[in-house]
Amino acid sequence: MKWFWCVFFAFWPIVAVAVCAIAPSVGWWLPGEAASPLGRRIDDLFYLILVITAITFIGTQMGLAYVLFTGARRTDPDVTEKTWFSHGSHELEVIWSTVPALVLLFIALYQLNVWAEYRVKDAFPKKDMEAVLTRLRQVRTDRDSVALAEVTARQFEWRIRYPGFDAQGNLLPLMQDPQPTDLYAVNDLHLPANAPVMINLKTQDVQHSFFLPELRVKQDAVPGLVIPIWFEAEQQRSYALLCAELCGWGHYKMKAQFVAESEAGFLNYLRTLHSAQNYDGVHQKIEDEE
Amino acid sequence: MRTFVTNCMQLSSMYSRGQKAFGRSRRGLMACGLTCALLTLLAGCGKPEFTHREEFSKLEPYAQEYIHEVLNQHFGTPTEMVVWERLPLKKHLSTGTVTKVAETELTLELSEPHQEITPGTEILWNSGPLKGKPSGWIRSWDHDTHIATLETKLKEMPEEGTQVIVGPGQVLVRGRHLYAVHCQHCHGVSGDGNGPTAEYLNPLPRDYRQGIFKFTLTQAQERASRVDLARTIEDGIPGTYMPSFKLLTPDESESIIEYVLWLAMRGETEYQLVRFLTEDYSKASVLDRVKSGVEKKKAGEEDYETYASIREEFITAVNDPEDMPMELDSIVELIVSRWTTAQEPEAVVAPQENRVAYDARSIAHGRQLYMSNDLNCVACHGDAGYGDGPQTYSITKDLETGKENEQPGLYDAWGKPVQPRNLHTGIYRGGRRPIDLYARVHAGIKGTPMPAFGAKLKDQDIWDIVNFIYSVPFETEQAGSGMQKAQEPAASEEEVAVK
Repeated sequence: MKWFWCVFFAFWPIVAVAVCAIAPSVGWWLPGEAASPLGRRIDDLFYLILVITAITFIGTQMGLAYVLFTGARRTDPDVTEKTWFSHGSHELEVIWSTVPALVLLFIALYQLNVWAEYRVKDAFPKKDMEAVLTRLRQVRTDRDSVALAEVTARQFEWRIRYPGFDAQGNLLPLMQDPQPTDLYAVNDLHLPANAPVMINLKTQDVQHSFFLPELRVKQDAVPGLVIPIWFEAEQQRSYALLCAELCGWGHYKMKAQFVAESEAGFLNYLRTLHSAQNYDGVHQKIEDEE
Repeated sequence: MRTFVTNCMQLSSMYSRGQKAFGRSRRGLMACGLTCALLTLLAGCGKPEFTHREEFSKLEPYAQEYIHEVLNQHFGTPTEMVVWERLPLKKHLSTGTVTKVAETELTLELSEPHQEITPGTEILWNSGPLKGKPSGWIRSWDHDTHIATLETKLKEMPEEGTQVIVGPGQVLVRGRHLYAVHCQHCHGVSGDGNGPTAEYLNPLPRDYRQGIFKFTLTQAQERASRVDLARTIEDGIPGTYMPSFKLLTPDESESIIEYVLWLAMRGETEYQLVRFLTEDYSKASVLDRVKSGVEKKKAGEEDYETYASIREEFITAVNDPEDMPMELDSIVELIVSRWTTAQEPEAVVAPQENRVAYDARSIAHGRQLYMSNDLNCVACHGDAGYGDGPQTYSITKDLETGKENEQPGLYDAWGKPVQPRNLHTGIYRGGRRPIDLYARVHAGIKGTPMPAFGAKLKDQDIWDIVNFIYSVPFETEQAGSGMQKAQEPAASEEEVAVK
């Protein structure tokens, strides 16, 4: 029976490694290729950590199997071999305290740049974001927000507020509070592609999480906070926008789309919103008469 | 959604098999535990059934049975729907004619636009010698050439020119499946707004069964148009729990709308029948009738009513084609014509003049109208627009009966308390476009105390009110401030003395 348990406990780590190894080929892996430069760097970090943990996992499991099998052998009736008592070994304690500490320190330092760029507002690619706004001919000063939209999560949808146009048709900056010129949409976030763009994330009720799986962007929306997030979609297409925080019984309903398009396309989209939002019901009648 | 339905079916068949095995062989704890687990899984997984209105149970049993039968005959059950041709709905995927027949391939000329035709769709022969014969089933459909390949070669191929119905009732079936996934948990199986999640919601989900929908662009007396329902599904209703279903395809949205309309028509048929029969055949009124019958009998009159005679009278009425069937017919006719006219272009609220410029003059005039005794918006919305007018704490009258409500406050057509909108939030439930606000003022909000002002006001005036409403969330000053200068306090005696 003891050999059965030895094999049993050695078997499952092998299964775990095998399942992980075949996972990418059967589609149990990341949601597609990372669709943004930052996303790729996050993936690189993920793979680095995966390699480290995989080596650790295989190593510790091999150690476990070794201990199991030798320990089981020593209980055989005719074996006189003594157990090696390692408890209190100073060398071993030093090794397995310092090695993980060094590994963790390495990870902590190595990821600093990515984390800062992703999360720390001062490290955001502000120049590139401002360049987009300049190309969109936004009427702005340095004190205006670089955010292009305010996304408000609520049970169970995403409500989006864009800045509108002034009387001359120029794009205005996004203000902290709603403006009469603002444009509104729901479950359909449009932003320019191929350049970093920023949004402000809010929630109207409970905690939600703004999740763009293909761009590797995930940020909780916390009541009372306005959280800036930036991302850069490399392809002009639509991406999934999901809620990644169980926010209530209708959590699964919070599915929207994020459409990355050209800068001209984005302006056009805002103009369409503008004319739809100012529709006074008279226009159509004239068309009908024609 | 298909998987949801089939899962339930598989589960229930597994359940019955498991039970038999359990009964026969006593497999002990294991089987017992399994059955318990299955029972837990099955809780709430039964066959969906339409429920009846509350007032329904107040009718005499025979009247209840009659209504139940009528609904069953014309609407069926959720899982076995009856497609009543009389209802003005888009029920089939498409209709058309056969233009060419070859082997298993039929070329069809179909009415456009039609929903996607999927493999396994039925072709029902509607004319020619094949009418009434078994239907054909589509294996594949070529959208460009309009050629339908059939599953098998038919014994008797249709003639050219045969009228066909493609996917009979399929739009409603698709709608039902989508409704079960997206809508049912709030709006309920029968559209009564009382699904399992409804109890957590405020405001409550819409009860379709009076045929009333609040946020429409149709005239005050009209039902909602399909466009209105489509907009609600697409954009949701901010300020309520109705979320946006933007990612539904147009086909999916259309199917849901047709199913919701079908539920509304079914619900209204029941509502009107119950209302009609309550007068004479509710338990209370039958009791009254019998009591007066007893009085008459005592007084020695020969013509008096008893339970048996009232029941007899009802059965005669039901079987007399000139009586109840005629009444049912006129009820349904009214429902059909209301929904049909609501889809006409004339039903839509259409301002004649463009929105006036959003400027100080217009806003000031809008405010003046808002405050005026004539329109009396302030009675509900309050003089500062916080939705706290005196009506919110006064005894008001019921919208339908005109009787005074027992509790103070405002009530809607569903008998639930409603709050007048706080205009400061910047949340517009029925949409934020100028035409949406115009329609709210012009046609009111159906099923609520918000009246229609269209007959009273000129277009320009309504646009001024709309501009005023737009301006309220951006008001920086308190209402009333700046209207007149505060007076200097009168000098006190001491001050006078000093002077």
